[in-house]
Amino acid sequence: MLDFKHTERSRREFESLSLDHLDALYSAGLRLTKNERDAEDLVQDTFLRAFRFFDKFERGTNMKAWLFKILTNTFINKYRRRVKERTVVEGAAREAGNERFVTHEPTESSADPEQYFFDKLLSDDVIRSIDHLPIDFRLVVILADLQEFSYKEIAEILDCPVGTVMSRLYRGRKLLQRNLLGYAVEQGVVHGKVAMELAAESEEAEVIELNKRRA
Amino acid sequence: MRQQCQQLEETFLHAYVDGEFGAEETAEVQAHLSDCAICTHAVRIHESYKAAMSRASHLAPQSLQGALKLKLAEEAPDSRWTTAFRDPRGIALTAACVGAAAWFLAGGMTHPLLPRGDSLIDAQVSLHTHALPVDFAASDVGSAQQWLSSKLDFGVRLPHFAPGTQLQGVRLSNVHARQAAIVTYAMGGMRRVSLVIADDPEPQLGERARQIADREVFITRSRGFNVVSWRSDEVVYSLISDLDERDVLALVQSAEQH
Repeated sequence: MLDFKHTERSRREFESLSLDHLDALYSAGLRLTKNERDAEDLVQDTFLRAFRFFDKFERGTNMKAWLFKILTNTFINKYRRRVKERTVVEGAAREAGNERFVTHEPTESSADPEQYFFDKLLSDDVIRSIDHLPIDFRLVVILADLQEFSYKEIAEILDCPVGTVMSRLYRGRKLLQRNLLGYAVEQGVVHGKVAMELAAESEEAEVIELNKRRA
Repeated sequence: MRQQCQQLEETFLHAYVDGEFGAEETAEVQAHLSDCAICTHAVRIHESYKAAMSRASHLAPQSLQGALKLKLAEEAPDSRWTTAFRDPRGIALTAACVGAAAWFLAGGMTHPLLPRGDSLIDAQVSLHTHALPVDFAASDVGSAQQWLSSKLDFGVRLPHFAPGTQLQGVRLSNVHARQAAIVTYAMGGMRRVSLVIADDPEPQLGERARQIADREVFITRSRGFNVVSWRSDEVVYSLISDLDERDVLALVQSAEQH
């Protein structure tokens, strides 16, 4: 069938606007689905869906945000259940088989205290920590910290108020940082006393946040 | 246990590092940071966290972009029809095609013995009439020939036609289950001429033989098109167009002279 809505010209326009965001969408898709095959499927579905609705896209508005809205909706509708089933098995295997290695980066200056340890961690640890987050937190963390969307853009992508974005982001980051701290201690990037302090701080922050919500 | 700053909440500092604030608010936060060690510390931790996160991204596999483009092309076929209707020259071409089809039907009625269906010439003419998009667009013989030689199992020598016959591109296909290439030319902007090249498919090339320069060519008429075929190094070249016999032979002759 010939579809007059989709001319070759509209396809070219779509490709020129969308393909720039392929890496970003794949990267986010990978952290959502946690495996490469599902990430590729998710990205393909996202592009096809976006193309089908391309006439609904307002020219001149944020293409990346629009694509991410479609990506997250597609993920939530279609992949979540499938991925959940698989990770039960894979998660356990991955825990068991992971050989750990440590990079001891030299401490550049004494003015850079141990507490600022996050950027000394391996990307693998960061990735594992993201993957451990519950989905609602994972979504906002991916959008804010991996893709660097603004709070307002995230609110539009997820269809929720900015306040919800901020509180999920805050709690998601605290959870994630606690995981990262665990890896940092394991690797000796952070030592006992500092670790205790940071953990206490992070718990305390959470308690304060919780009290605020109750109030 | 660490102290909490009484003036600023940590979410506020996150928003500051996340770049959520305008110039005025940013200046206020900076003023506060200049004399609050607790908040400065929190900001630096958050910056260190953001730096770690920014390294956790992946590139899409190389193959994904190609797969996507294919799927999109399936979704929106590279249709000559849809583009034809937007272009006045295309409308003329479409009209010419419709005319040719009508002519063919009329001819078909008056010549019930016309060979149909699966003769070699018919198969080649089908390739011409389908006017499928080229796989490789080229306007010079050299690059088209180079592209073909990397794709075909047999060697080809593309002819150099007289100026005014503009090379458009090449497409891979097959004729009677043998590998073939279709080279597309435009004449005078409107007229399309196809050269189908196939690996020695059949002993018999056509009905009437003619001598052009020192080459034997065969002329066949099929479905309103004149087909001129010749063989060279066990490869068969067939030029298909709706040019009349005299013009098409002149075209072949022009290639011999170049």
